[in-house]
Amino acid sequence: MADKVSFLILEKSYVIRSGLLQIITDFPETGKVYELETRKNLHKTLKKENPDVLIVNAKLTDDIPDFITVIKEKNKNIKSVVFAGTKRANDNFPGFDLKISVDEAKNDIIEKLKKLIRSIRPEISEDTNELSEREKDIVKQVALGKTNKEISEILFISIHTVMTHRKNITRKLGIKTVSGLTVYAILNNLIKIDETKPYG
Amino acid sequence: MLISENTKLAEVILQNYHLIPVVSRFGIELGFGDKTAGQICEKYGIDKVFFLEIINAFNDKSYLPYKKLREMPLSVTVDYLLKSHRYYNKVKLPLIEKLIEQLKWTGNADKKNKDVLKTFFARYRKEVNDHTANEEQNVYPYILELEKNYYAETPDADFTKRLNDKSISYYADIHDELNTSLSDLKNIIIKYLHPADNKEITEQILTEIFRLEKDMTDHTKLEENVIIPVAKKMEDKLKRKIN
Ligand SMILES: [Fe+2]
Ligand SMILES: [Fe+2]
Repeated sequence: MADKVSFLILEKSYVIRSGLLQIITDFPETGKVYELETRKNLHKTLKKENPDVLIVNAKLTDDIPDFITVIKEKNKNIKSVVFAGTKRANDNFPGFDLKISVDEAKNDIIEKLKKLIRSIRPEISEDTNELSEREKDIVKQVALGKTNKEISEILFISIHTVMTHRKNITRKLGIKTVSGLTVYAILNNLIKIDETKPYG
Repeated sequence: MLISENTKLAEVILQNYHLIPVVSRFGIELGFGDKTAGQICEKYGIDKVFFLEIINAFNDKSYLPYKKLREMPLSVTVDYLLKSHRYYNKVKLPLIEKLIEQLKWTGNADKKNKDVLKTFFARYRKEVNDHTANEEQNVYPYILELEKNYYAETPDADFTKRLNDKSISYYADIHDELNTSLSDLKNIIIKYLHPADNKEITEQILTEIFRLEKDMTDHTKLEENVIIPVAKKMEDKLKRKIN
């Protein structure tokens, strides 16, 4: 499955932090969310967890010129979101990928963040979750109890390719286990129930 | 909502029904009137701190009680974990199995759909059984013995000998979540299974799966955030003491 999107929220206020957290955790793409109250462990956390998105209160960036530039030098792919209070809702924050402000409606904030997430993981938001013919072949072999190596030999593809297919299959179907894929294969007539290994 | 010893237990349950099986695992029965959590703990002889930590943890995702729980005797946590194993194996899994048995489709689909779901679920049930049996027969007893020796004046020589080549880390490494298959089953029923004729049973199955999943997630968290780290610390200290 494509990796989920991880967040780091740097925000002093508990109330704002939990509000942001609530919005973020509503996205199905959201993975781990790290929270920091102060800048104390910011760089350590950035280095260790390498989050996809950093959300930071504008107030915590003001006294440091190049706050975001410095971070982006190290965490090259990080997307940065600045959270602005009422007074600064109309300011520009150069260097940041996105600004959200305390006055914005919930839906607007959600739309903005959704766009950002899509830009990070375009594959997650693919419209079609339909399996390709090749992927169906693979599901069938998995359901028959074949290992990745055996599948690669049967279908004349590399093990690496098999693994990529399997990842995509799991992402598309939302099914992770072999038994789950077997059920899927039977329900969709890719194999017959008596072709599976008897349950033991 | 933060639950304290002065919170009325009825209020707690009314705002979060997930806590019903948790509370009942402590032996508490419904019909508690306006009694507070503290009063009820006293009545049943339950460790108040432990009880409050558990229900707060299960009630609020962002509540981080592990620090306090780590200071509790491991035997208390293990006792709770054992009770939830029993609940999964003896109550919830058989219930879902029975519900699957009741699903009905018209025509040929009936046998096929039911067979495939039953096989899947039987396998899952066995997986949970094996997992919990291993914990009950190997992991928990080891942890209890470890705790006993940790506090003993002179640790048992037999035990310390074994300590050098046995470790909780092994369990920690292979410890897996029990609900991957449950999540698969949810997906299958919601997305891929031809709807059964008796859809109220389908809805019931899904509801039960969601509840079980939540309970198991909390259970696994207790194992990974409380008993594993505490046991690891005890092992380290005990090893230093004897070597
Ligand atoms: Fe367990
Ligand atoms: Fe476990």
